[in-house]
Amino acid sequence: MPSVLATTHPTDTVYGEVGDATVPLRFASTGEEYGVLRERAALLDLGGHRLIEITGPAAVDFAQRLLARDVEYLTSDRCMMSLVLDDDGQVVDQVVAFGREDGLLLESSCGAGDRLLEHLRAHQEDGVEITDRSGDLTAIGLEGPYAWGVVGRLIDAELASLPFESVAEATWDGVDIVFARTGLTGEYGYQVIVPIEAAATLWARALEHATPAGLEALELAMLEVRQPIPRHEATPGATVIEIGANWLVDVTKDEFVGKDAVVEAFEAGGGRRTIGFTGCAGIPTPGTRVQAGGQDVGEIVHAVHSVGLGATLGLARVDPDLAAAGLDLTVAGQTVTTLTSPYIVPKSWSIPII
Amino acid sequence: MALRPVVVTGLGIICAAGRDPAEFWSRLVAGQGALTPIEDEAFAVFTARHAGQVPDAWIDGQLPPEDTGHDRTAKLALVAARQAIEQAGLPLGGPDQDESGTSPAGGGPGQDRSGTGPPSDGPGQDRSGTGPAGGGPAPGRFGIILGKCQATPDAAGRYQPMHRTADVVATRLGLLGPRVLVSTACAAGGNAVGLAKDKILTGEADAVLAGGVDPLLFGTYAGFAGLQALSTGPCRPYSRSDGLNLGEGAAFLLLEPLDLALARGATPLAEVAGYGLSADAYHATAPDPTGRGGAGAVRRALADAGLTTSDVHYVSGHGTGTPANDAMEAKVMRLVFGERAGQVPTSSIKSFVGHTLGAAGAVEAVASVLALRHATAPPTIGFDGGAAGAADLDFVPDRARPMPIDTVVSNNYAFGGNNVSLVLTAPRGPRPYAELPERTAVITGLGPVTGVGAGIAEVAEALATGRRAPGRPPSLDGRTYAPRSLWRHMNHLSRMAIAASRLAWEDAGLKLPRKALDDVGLVFATGAGSAESTGGFDESIAANPNKPAVLSFSNVVLNATGGAVCQTLGLRGPTTTICNGGASASIALDCALEMIRAGKAEVVLVVAADEASGPPTPDGSAPPAPDGSAPPAPDGSAPPAPDGSAPPSPDGDGGAEPVKGSAAVAFVVESAEHCAERGGTPYAKVGATRHAAGDGPGPLADSLALLAGRPPELVIGTSPGLPPGGEEAAAVLAAAPDAPLTGTAALTGDCQAATGALNVALAALAVRDGIAPGLPDLPGPASRALALTAAPGSVRGAVLLEAI
Repeated sequence: MPSVLATTHPTDTVYGEVGDATVPLRFASTGEEYGVLRERAALLDLGGHRLIEITGPAAVDFAQRLLARDVEYLTSDRCMMSLVLDDDGQVVDQVVAFGREDGLLLESSCGAGDRLLEHLRAHQEDGVEITDRSGDLTAIGLEGPYAWGVVGRLIDAELASLPFESVAEATWDGVDIVFARTGLTGEYGYQVIVPIEAAATLWARALEHATPAGLEALELAMLEVRQPIPRHEATPGATVIEIGANWLVDVTKDEFVGKDAVVEAFEAGGGRRTIGFTGCAGIPTPGTRVQAGGQDVGEIVHAVHSVGLGATLGLARVDPDLAAAGLDLTVAGQTVTTLTSPYIVPKSWSIPII
Repeated sequence: MALRPVVVTGLGIICAAGRDPAEFWSRLVAGQGALTPIEDEAFAVFTARHAGQVPDAWIDGQLPPEDTGHDRTAKLALVAARQAIEQAGLPLGGPDQDESGTSPAGGGPGQDRSGTGPPSDGPGQDRSGTGPAGGGPAPGRFGIILGKCQATPDAAGRYQPMHRTADVVATRLGLLGPRVLVSTACAAGGNAVGLAKDKILTGEADAVLAGGVDPLLFGTYAGFAGLQALSTGPCRPYSRSDGLNLGEGAAFLLLEPLDLALARGATPLAEVAGYGLSADAYHATAPDPTGRGGAGAVRRALADAGLTTSDVHYVSGHGTGTPANDAMEAKVMRLVFGERAGQVPTSSIKSFVGHTLGAAGAVEAVASVLALRHATAPPTIGFDGGAAGAADLDFVPDRARPMPIDTVVSNNYAFGGNNVSLVLTAPRGPRPYAELPERTAVITGLGPVTGVGAGIAEVAEALATGRRAPGRPPSLDGRTYAPRSLWRHMNHLSRMAIAASRLAWEDAGLKLPRKALDDVGLVFATGAGSAESTGGFDESIAANPNKPAVLSFSNVVLNATGGAVCQTLGLRGPTTTICNGGASASIALDCALEMIRAGKAEVVLVVAADEASGPPTPDGSAPPAPDGSAPPAPDGSAPPAPDGSAPPSPDGDGGAEPVKGSAAVAFVVESAEHCAERGGTPYAKVGATRHAAGDGPGPLADSLALLAGRPPELVIGTSPGLPPGGEEAAAVLAAAPDAPLTGTAALTGDCQAATGALNVALAALAVRDGIAPGLPDLPGPASRALALTAAPGSVRGAVLLEAI
């Protein structure tokens, strides 16, 4: 499914197929776009994120059962990130759940909309309506140490300092928008959910204050602060604990789909753990074996070239004892060093919103 | 037409920068700060040592010898209170008035809130009464509303009841009118001035002494140090913003209606044109970084005053000097004033006196009145232009600025996310005015969380079966009431209050969109706040003052639980916290009614919560009653219920000292129009409320005057146990001889504020559903039910509920 903004983007935009979506990977160069995201403000086409509305009298109960975190009292001025699991505790998707007056709005991760929708519909019950809103809504993001300034100039200065995971309904250029402080990269981050017919205008107006960045720069910046990217990290068979996404699950909830499997994994112990590393030349492919002291201890999950580090940055899934920072491991004959996250310190952490 | 103008005719202040208003103002104008290192060696453990301290000689030198034996809090308050009364030209009354005043046996004529209830010709409405010296208000129409943040330790180190300071001042000065202790932490002083205006507009008082007090206490100092909130030198608000200094002091403003002030020849110093309250609904200690909570309070205050932002000449800021506060305040200025923000001077006198907590709002209100009088904006001293956090704003750096000032906005922001804004204007001449409109208010939702059950269905079942559990702590198991991420950080008092609020909200069937929740009010009532957090914090300080339990500290302020309810339910309307012991809930109801009458809210949640300070017994049951008062039978069955058909008897169980208990009780108060529009089903309408202050039996009898000769069908009192000797039964017997008297303390134990709220809630239940504790033979729904509340020796309350 192409982005609704595809006709707006320059013709030399480089697209890629990500799951069920066709999304801009880069508009110019990933390095430059990354620089904009870390230094100024990057504009993000989040059209690959599916928007699914859950309404009806049983909407909240349904969402509480399908989402792994506690959304029972998610009010319309809050949003939160949660995993959606299957009965075996495997990750279906990682969503942002927005509380709405009449239910919830779920935003899938990039390219995972079909799978999420199918999963939700498979569990649908009386009193629940599931509506794919991607025909009339899309999401546009802003990330960067000065993204708050763009919000102030573009939308409303009052919204720029919203606390993390706060949501406000607002009007922009005569259309109703949902505005949220989300943040995926450690920088100030916002999302605007906007009617499709107004999206191109908003995008164009935002370009007056910010520079577009594609998925490659966004995912790199996410990795640098260990923001989970399910399409890379939720490998088949891996438990929530192995992925390191425990914080996106709340086992104190009475029940949710996949809870038993998660609890079982917790209680069983064992398995592997995910840890960041840097140090090798080149980019090891996922599945590359990892050794320590000559023993096979795990595998590469995902790796890229980090512009922020000027070196390879990746995630390895290794034996629990080795999932600690400062250890030397071997990847394809080269020594890498494990890291503690975040792997770079976002500039936004030292810049106040004024 | 505007409402009755309310003016300030007297000021009183004692703080580090002066022992009276004249000295205080001269130092402000001269830019002479008063933040000095604390000499007391006990404070040597802290790195930050500067504070705004009041010399002992300033206090005792202004008090008559008989007043010098009181605690420091009361003495500070007495000094400032005396100054305000003297400047207003009113006679300084005294305890002797208890005998010579217009009230019977020491109680003042109560203050009748006659809704649609009895005719308004009771003693509380007697406007002809004059004070002993003539021209001034009668003692029963002269009230005190005191803001205070910290509980005051007594000589033995235990905490006094929060309202004790107000009782001491009222008794010493002969004030027998409305008596309210408001504890919205650092917003309390300003909040008190606003509530005082309300008491004049409702006609309950002809004069009110409104202000705040707090001394410098070691524990509080340790708590702020633990939060890393203290500056190591004199604080530098709006520039360096590297922390605050604590201060101490008291300030009062004498408020009276313009017409009465002029009639007795007094000089109005300023008008209290309006005030606004709001809740951040964001965090226990940090302000909402958007500034929308603070901006909401300013906007409400200006709307209340009938003014716009363009009318404002000067803003007295909260200006603590912490980075979070100062950054948030800059946003408030920009949000409220827009492009004009830089043209509205705003300054912080905390740069002179430190943060005087519950007194701060009153101290700054006094400074604001003086700024109006002298046409001069006091400066922010210690200002570092090179470090200014917001270069686009005018913080009146270092030098006082003569300038025309007709309108001042004074802002305060507190722990718990409570915000207050006052609008003070130069006084104008007499003019026609409208009375505060009467609006019928109804109770539409009940949320009791008690040892006999959570939710009105469980409690009604307990009433029907006679099940009792005095002293048993409530169980919150079986369902959730809040997001787990919030719940796990809440203390028990907040959990109970949140559960009660959620249950009341659900019982009312309210489904309001986010935008409407921004205007839903919340009034929290508590006698003592969280015993758990207070105890935990005090223990941590005793163990090591440099390692305070900071999470407990943030919950020591009495409004913390109200803030937690706002945060959990997302309520951002007007909010306040009332701490008048067992009478808190009915006084809180009055506040809710005032909000509704003034059109400031259509829906107000009243929540009362208190907990027994001792730990529950291991099996969760109540400790044994020391006096044989109705403990639960071993098999869970009820002891014999009193004969519901009998009239009250002075020989009843009133002499018993009830078991202490823990509970939270919430009820939803709604304008009748709002309820009807949404198709809600009210329990009852509020016919009238009445409070009477003072010691002895007079206030109790006086509170019952709201019956106006029309007895209710039942009375839910505060017995057994209070007051000793069955005074309540005797008073009820005299006022309503045929009405059965029952109570809720036998059901749950004495749960202080929550017991008062439970009385109101169960009176509402009796009106709609014909169920009442210990009265199995009620013939059906009562057309009129009376609920009593009591802070013995201080305030008695009565709430008359009527069938729709």
